[in-house]
Amino acid sequence: MSNASTSAAGSERISMLKVLNPFHIWALGVGIVLVGEFMGWNFSVAKGGAYGSLIACWVIGLLYTCVAMIDSEVTSTVAAAGGQYTQAKHIIGPLMAFNVGLYLVMAYTMLEAADALVVGDLMKSGAAALGYMDLETKPFVVFTIAFLAWLNYRGVFMTLTVNFVITLIAFLAILVLFIGVDPTHSGTILKHKELLTDLPYGWIGVIASFQFGMWYYLGIEGTCQAAEEVRSAGRSIPLGTMGGMMTLLVAATLTWFICTGLMPWQYLGQAITPLYDAATLVGNTNLQILLFVATIFSAVASANGCINDASRAWFSLGRDRYMPSFFGAIHPKYRTPYRAIIFLIPIAVSFAFTGLLDQVITFSILSGLLGYTFMSINMVKFRKMWPLGSIKRGYVHPLHPFPAITLFALCVSVYFATFLGYGSTLLSIMGFYIVASIWFTIRRYKFVKRGDQFTMPWPRPEGY
Amino acid sequence: MNFWQLLSYAAWGLSALMLLWMLADAMSVAKQYDEEYLMSSREGADELTGQ
Amino acid sequence: MAKEYIPEKQSGIGQIIDSIFILVLVYVSLYIPLLMKADAAAEAAADAPKPTWESLQLSPVVQEQWVKLGYDAEKAAALINSKFDYTIDPMMLLLTAGIIIAYFVFMLKASDKEYREVISEKFGDK
Repeated sequence: MSNASTSAAGSERISMLKVLNPFHIWALGVGIVLVGEFMGWNFSVAKGGAYGSLIACWVIGLLYTCVAMIDSEVTSTVAAAGGQYTQAKHIIGPLMAFNVGLYLVMAYTMLEAADALVVGDLMKSGAAALGYMDLETKPFVVFTIAFLAWLNYRGVFMTLTVNFVITLIAFLAILVLFIGVDPTHSGTILKHKELLTDLPYGWIGVIASFQFGMWYYLGIEGTCQAAEEVRSAGRSIPLGTMGGMMTLLVAATLTWFICTGLMPWQYLGQAITPLYDAATLVGNTNLQILLFVATIFSAVASANGCINDASRAWFSLGRDRYMPSFFGAIHPKYRTPYRAIIFLIPIAVSFAFTGLLDQVITFSILSGLLGYTFMSINMVKFRKMWPLGSIKRGYVHPLHPFPAITLFALCVSVYFATFLGYGSTLLSIMGFYIVASIWFTIRRYKFVKRGDQFTMPWPRPEGY
Repeated sequence: MNFWQLLSYAAWGLSALMLLWMLADAMSVAKQYDEEYLMSSREGADELTGQ
Repeated sequence: MAKEYIPEKQSGIGQIIDSIFILVLVYVSLYIPLLMKADAAAEAAADAPKPTWESLQLSPVVQEQWVKLGYDAEKAAALINSKFDYTIDPMMLLLTAGIIIAYFVFMLKASDKEYREVISEKFGDK
């Protein structure tokens, strides 16, 4: 009797272990994203003022709800380590898949760099609060990345369980801070009446703030990267992802409310650790310590998930020869994509060292945005090529094609939002993907085994 | 040397250790195992057929 | 079945070259703009007269929060006065939009061509 894991010659194949449940998926998704409430979202206040940021929070929440719905359907049906990369291979084609793989690697590696940057900065703030000024941030940045890479190198299950615990603590800290600012007695601690201003740039500022509104939620689609390692993908992925969205919507609104009631918008718009700063303003040392710990936890949980996702995407690219096949190896003892993990370390470290948090975040956001644009096109093609009933889908999302159309339209608005104020960053990212695409077409595609790109047990697609 | 400087050096030192460990382990794996085996994983669909 | 395409196996040197290429591409296209921005930010000099709390005309509550955050009038003014410029240059907007659209169109077309090769090898020619 042969099973799925032995080849025709009878020799054993290596594979990743299937040990994850819905809570792990929730932890992976929320764990990557929750840091966005502790840093980065507030750059949307710089772009459009406090109210602009709140509108962005909800409009982009709609964008991500569409992402969660679409992602749950496609991912629960295409259960492989490459996630959206594998989807692209099956629905659009190799070049698109190559780009999607890169979107994933770049979005998560830049987010990881942002996380490490925040840990370094927080150590500096903490040391300053205790009397030691100008602590060098670099050793803590490197340590964060090295330690988490090392954890990921050694195995999946342990790191995701750790993720679950620290994500939970970080989320509870936001709730405690919310209670701590005495929200029902406006004016005692929270000073919304005096701090909230009219839109400083008018309505165009509101649109501009969409760019960083993405940061409240970016990464939730990372849940599908774990698909190959999940015990029951059709159930766990929709449950974990939707649960994650709801947690994030609550956390985002609370975060906005707390911060805009304590800090002038011009300060808030450039703060590196807004929730920690909010806690210092309340004047309660315990709250300050709690938020210090929670910010570090959220950054670490996020960086952890990012290394997980980025390395699996790079590994998938290597396994299919889109990138050098050397990276397509799995560690025989730890069952992790260990070479991909090592290769991505210097990229994360060097970007974290720049200290330019808003720019690093923008690279991550734009890579994610390109991925969501792809997702909307992908969904329409997916239903056309394999109509409902032609293949077994783990989950079918409702109201198609409205989520896909809404997602596409909102993505267009975010490109425009980024053009306002960050136009050169937008162009340099496009330059990167264009050159990489040309390189793939000329140089890499010839190494790719054509038929092997299609690994799902599906029939021939309609129209092909 | 005060606590914070010590902490910084410890961070550098531990980072270097972990990075070197990973590199050393990767190289020893390459020596011990056949490249074909390390690359033999295949994209999976077997998970869904069992539902 | 369409004739199966047997790809060449890439040599070790080739793999190293490709790995270096992609690393260089990441650093050139993403890192260099960052370095240029860091320089530009450092260059922005303050020539205006030294600001005071009176000149900023903030309400007492707002000023109190700035002070609590550890900001003096000069530092606060630096943040309050740096504003985004949202004037839209139509040429830049068209160029940027054109680049993004062209990128997606090129990608979808080229992918479709490659995809048909994948399908015809996997499922056979129709």
